[in-house]
Amino acid sequence: MKLLTVLFKKEVLDAGRDKRSVMAGLYYAIGSPIIMCVLFSIMLKQFASPDELKITIKNADAAPALVQYLESKEIIHSTDDDVKAITLEISADYQDKMREGRSAQVTIIADKSDDKLRKSITELERAIMRYNSEVASLRLLTRGIDPTVMQAVNVQVHDQATPESKGGMFLGIATLSIVLTLFYAAMNLAIDTSAGERERNSLALLLSHPLSSMQVVLAKSAAIAAFSMLGLAIILVVSKFAYALVPWQQLGFSVNIGFDFMLLCMVIGLPIALMSASLQVFVSFMAKSFKEAQTYVTMVLFVPMGLSMVTTYDIATEYVQWLPIAAQQHAMIEFIKGNALPWPQLFISTLVTLALFGLFSWLSSRMLKSEKVVFGL
Amino acid sequence: MHFIKKMKLGLLYLTILTVSLGINKHVLADTESNSQIDLTPCYIENLPDRLLCGSIKQPLSYETNEGEIEIHFAVIPAIKKSHPTEAILGFAGGPGQSAVELAAIFNRNLRYARENRDILLVDQRGTGKSLKLQCQSDDLVTLFAFNDALIDMNTLATEDTQRCKSEIKVDLSHFTTPVAAKDFEAVRKALGYTGLHLYGVSYGTRIAQEYTRQFPDSVLTSTLDGVAPMQQGLSAIGHAIDMSLDALLKRCTTDVQCEKQYPKLSEQLVNLLDRLDRSPVTIDVRHPRTHQKTELVVTQLKFFSAIRMALYSHHTRALIPLTISEALAGNYSPLVGLLSSSDMVDSMAMGMHSAIVCGEDWPFLTATSREKDMQSYFGKLMIESLDISCPIWQVKPVDSRFYQPLNTTTPTLLLSGGVDPATPPEWAEMAMVNMKNATHLIAPSATHGVVSQTCAAKLVGQFIDKKSVQELDVSCLEKDNRKQFFMNLNGTVSTQKTKISSVELGGDL
Repeated sequence: MKLLTVLFKKEVLDAGRDKRSVMAGLYYAIGSPIIMCVLFSIMLKQFASPDELKITIKNADAAPALVQYLESKEIIHSTDDDVKAITLEISADYQDKMREGRSAQVTIIADKSDDKLRKSITELERAIMRYNSEVASLRLLTRGIDPTVMQAVNVQVHDQATPESKGGMFLGIATLSIVLTLFYAAMNLAIDTSAGERERNSLALLLSHPLSSMQVVLAKSAAIAAFSMLGLAIILVVSKFAYALVPWQQLGFSVNIGFDFMLLCMVIGLPIALMSASLQVFVSFMAKSFKEAQTYVTMVLFVPMGLSMVTTYDIATEYVQWLPIAAQQHAMIEFIKGNALPWPQLFISTLVTLALFGLFSWLSSRMLKSEKVVFGL
Repeated sequence: MHFIKKMKLGLLYLTILTVSLGINKHVLADTESNSQIDLTPCYIENLPDRLLCGSIKQPLSYETNEGEIEIHFAVIPAIKKSHPTEAILGFAGGPGQSAVELAAIFNRNLRYARENRDILLVDQRGTGKSLKLQCQSDDLVTLFAFNDALIDMNTLATEDTQRCKSEIKVDLSHFTTPVAAKDFEAVRKALGYTGLHLYGVSYGTRIAQEYTRQFPDSVLTSTLDGVAPMQQGLSAIGHAIDMSLDALLKRCTTDVQCEKQYPKLSEQLVNLLDRLDRSPVTIDVRHPRTHQKTELVVTQLKFFSAIRMALYSHHTRALIPLTISEALAGNYSPLVGLLSSSDMVDSMAMGMHSAIVCGEDWPFLTATSREKDMQSYFGKLMIESLDISCPIWQVKPVDSRFYQPLNTTTPTLLLSGGVDPATPPEWAEMAMVNMKNATHLIAPSATHGVVSQTCAAKLVGQFIDKKSVQELDVSCLEKDNRKQFFMNLNGTVSTQKTKISSVELGGDL
């Protein structure tokens, strides 16, 4: 045990010397929440004051009431350069049809495959639909019929959500960045301490000491995990302050990163950090060179990233929810929403995570017994 | 056969809030950190969000020991609790409406303000769940068949008021505005809010002013939407109705198409009302919902009241020329349509309404104001009705200081609609004579309740945040939101002017 502590200290010292690697990892932890907050703020600004939808209205004189209605919904006729490629054509017999109580035709001319237009077309269609029901209600009223007869069923919703739980999708992205920190913050260190050490020919020297290869592997993993946890702590602190600056309330929900959530992340993050470290060490040793290690590690990290994404975008089937990373991230989201933690999933996945940590460490230590691996032959 | 009561008392309503319900998807936190009392999650119609409801006990009378009254309230939690010690207190109109039942409308009107602060809604004593003082009312079939011209109003109104009094069995003197204001303060204290932003609509502006007078230190800002000045009785509403109707009739005169379709509309209305006054028309119509045959007696009072209620919303305003013209031609279907929601007054607490008008408005009438208010059709009707019912109710008149204009330095935002048939802009001018920090904004084309019709919801949110009207961009209030007149049963025609004309806005606004 004492040996392990000494080894751990050596690894941390070693890693700490390479300031560039350390900082590269930490930049992610500091930068990602800030970049996301800037993006969200821009998005919210657009949401809060949506631009007028400028379209071309042909034969507008035939339907002044409709045109006025659309104007009140911020849909206007314009000849400016920034007018959208949507034309609303009002039929020549619009007035006659209206007067006779028949359907008066209007035509929307637009390219529905154009992604930039789709939202605007829907907006226009909805506005016209609402105009339809407004006129219909008044037509019933003039005939002595209460328009409420059109509403056969009065649907009342009792929404159980809270402002915290409403932020589901944004929380998913936030927790995604938090979970990924455990893999990216110390990636360079992981490669450096394994493949790098081998290339510097100091690995053989280390192994020539009276140590078991398992002890070496565990010390390296622990050092890497320590840096991952440092990254996690940083991203949590930065997120706490950065997310508080975004005016989420304009969208009807709030995002609060509290100390209890931060503590939870640290606790359930630790096994992941260990697993992540042992995985990266293992992959690095498998590679023949430093560069090869970088490639392999990057590729292997797609697996945890995929699991995390599956949770973020809520495509997790019942089985995926039990898998490591997915389950832990799911627990984080549930906690921040104020729901009960999914204990069984969290427990099983943590056990599996620790088992994987054991497996990768054992595989690495076995590899270090082979000269082929130690000397990168 | 209680139509007379309904019509007579119904005419006293200062306001019918425009009921345009928006579904707001905002949600809330489930714990209220600064409360000392039990709050239970609850839902109110048309608002999907989870609210917190509770109640406190208040003495029924502050002078005698007559037991207690339970004051119920609801909190619409802020989206983000940036100001946990502040709340926006919404006052409902009527008088007689329940603020809690209108939670969906308050939530919509105050949606910007709610981003950072709770909304507090209290059922004023006598309304909603706070000991609602209500009397039995009639269904639509009875209302349709009732001939108010045939029956001796005096006798019937007396009988109805006496019956209502025997149903209610409580002294209405405990339900006036000055007494009720104390309940709001007690709720504020119980919930631990240190300051409130007031938002009153219609009659709600009167209690907001009274609350500010009694508890100036509890008020951070005050927004008065459709202002009822303290120094004026509600019977002055007759003039407001006339002005709003005149503006509408003039608008038709200045519009080529409307003038062509409905020539001499004012004259026609006068003729029609005269005719109905001389001989009410009895016809068979279809019930607006069940479609069963039912009898409708069209009287002057019924027709004019339907037109009056139609003045509140731009949608129904667009139907007024058509309704008059069709009625003259013998088609009363548009009238039936306009009357179809006249049984909605059930939600009003008539007893509480009487407490206010008989304790505050009736005693305040002087020979001069009587003469002035009696000049208008509805003013006359209202005063006659008060003269019958108030002596029966025997509500103790409020202190004369009640009628002083509010003297305050609280930042106050007054909002008026240019064609408001209840509280016209000059009422707000009257209310603000002694307000040191007040701004009056007029939305020229709005009717009653500016916030629900215009961009004012955003302005109110900004005003509450900054506690000042400086830097507010109020130009959006100018936007014309009127609807075009219906030219036949199916809708509008092409050549109507859409620009707002100075004629409609009236000369002296």
